[in-house]
Amino acid sequence: MAGELGFSIPSIFVLSILLGVILYIIGSIIAPRVKKTAGKLAPYACGEDLPAEKLQVNAEEFFIYATYFLIFDVVAFMLATSLGKPGFFPILFIAIILVSSLVLFPVRVRRVEKDGFDKVG
Amino acid sequence: MVQEAIISLLQIVIFPGFLFLILAAFFYEWVDRKFVARLQNRYGPLHTGPRGLLQPFADFLKLLSKEDIIPYAADKLLFSAVPIFLLSLPLTALFCIPIINSTALISFEGDLILVIFITTIIVISVFIGAWSSTNRFSTVGGMRACLQMLGYEIPMTIAMAGPAIVAKTLSISKIVQWQTTGLWFILTQPLGFIIVTICFLAELQKIPFDIPKAETEVVAGWLTEFSGKKLALLRLAEDLELVLAGSIMASLYLGGPAGFSFMPPFVWFIIKLTVCILILSNLRALFARFRIDQLMRGVWKYLTPLALLQIILVELIPW
Repeated sequence: MAGELGFSIPSIFVLSILLGVILYIIGSIIAPRVKKTAGKLAPYACGEDLPAEKLQVNAEEFFIYATYFLIFDVVAFMLATSLGKPGFFPILFIAIILVSSLVLFPVRVRRVEKDGFDKVG
Repeated sequence: MVQEAIISLLQIVIFPGFLFLILAAFFYEWVDRKFVARLQNRYGPLHTGPRGLLQPFADFLKLLSKEDIIPYAADKLLFSAVPIFLLSLPLTALFCIPIINSTALISFEGDLILVIFITTIIVISVFIGAWSSTNRFSTVGGMRACLQMLGYEIPMTIAMAGPAIVAKTLSISKIVQWQTTGLWFILTQPLGFIIVTICFLAELQKIPFDIPKAETEVVAGWLTEFSGKKLALLRLAEDLELVLAGSIMASLYLGGPAGFSFMPPFVWFIIKLTVCILILSNLRALFARFRIDQLMRGVWKYLTPLALLQIILVELIPW
């Protein structure tokens, strides 16, 4: 329908961004100018005096999930694109992935031993 | 020719294009707030418009006209660009969903993958916005949003591959068309529907999984530093995400605009969308918040194997 006019996903995306920019400009017109004070421009910190800095968040205990995510993302993509194949091959593929992800199990065990308690879950 | 061009232009801009989608976003925010309020024995939105129907729009206008403060240490370009970006992503994805008949305004082979990709990009933009605002609470909230994505993304994608495998297509419009002749996928793949519902709760940061913006822990999470027009756009974006999630569920599992012919397809779509959104929003009257490690553990221990089981069932019994 709309494809005949040359509308496609990129052009719709550009139009959406344009819509956002228009709303943004309307906002800038009707909003009052910010009276800049040091208190207003400081980052919110519940009344504490914390410096504004780009933080490095430590999510090491979730690293194992990132590894699994990497593997299973490939599985999900393969499954989603296995449309025309007979049912046996995707199941075989799932089985191979599940068996090969067993290799990751010792990694998890070692982390638990190092910390003394089950941090990963 | 000119007439057709004008008609499709009107479809893009007004119905079922931008104007309709934004009005739907406001309407479903009202549905969301009003129903949960009634479940919790509160009144909810009451005064603006009939039964408070115009309250979300009034909130939007009020936020647009508030002063817009950028913290002095923030990365100003990213900080300003993220709300616009977050607004445009769900809007773009909604154009791939068939609304008035069984073909979407823009459909091509593989738009299901595009929609899944857009839901991922939304989370990445949330993290960029949170990190660029240089606030501790924002950064922790954005990090939590990303960690949450590591959990729910996989079962969601795998479960959504179920309808695609049966209908032998990756286009949402064609999956909907397949369901007009065959059974709805909620009947043949109820497990997949439940998994997708739970994953969308995490994706939308609704209450059992609202870990990235848990007020009692991290103030407003990744939204902390946003104010004025940026907050207005972000809230509109959240409503659009809610509509997007509901309409994906309605299209993939409930047959989208398909239905008996005594009502036009569009009305069927709205009914199904409302049912899906009520499921998504009313569950928050029932649950308390999970911790992030509980979410990750539960998702990887139960949801991912169940999603794989669903795919195996689909491959063995191809309805």
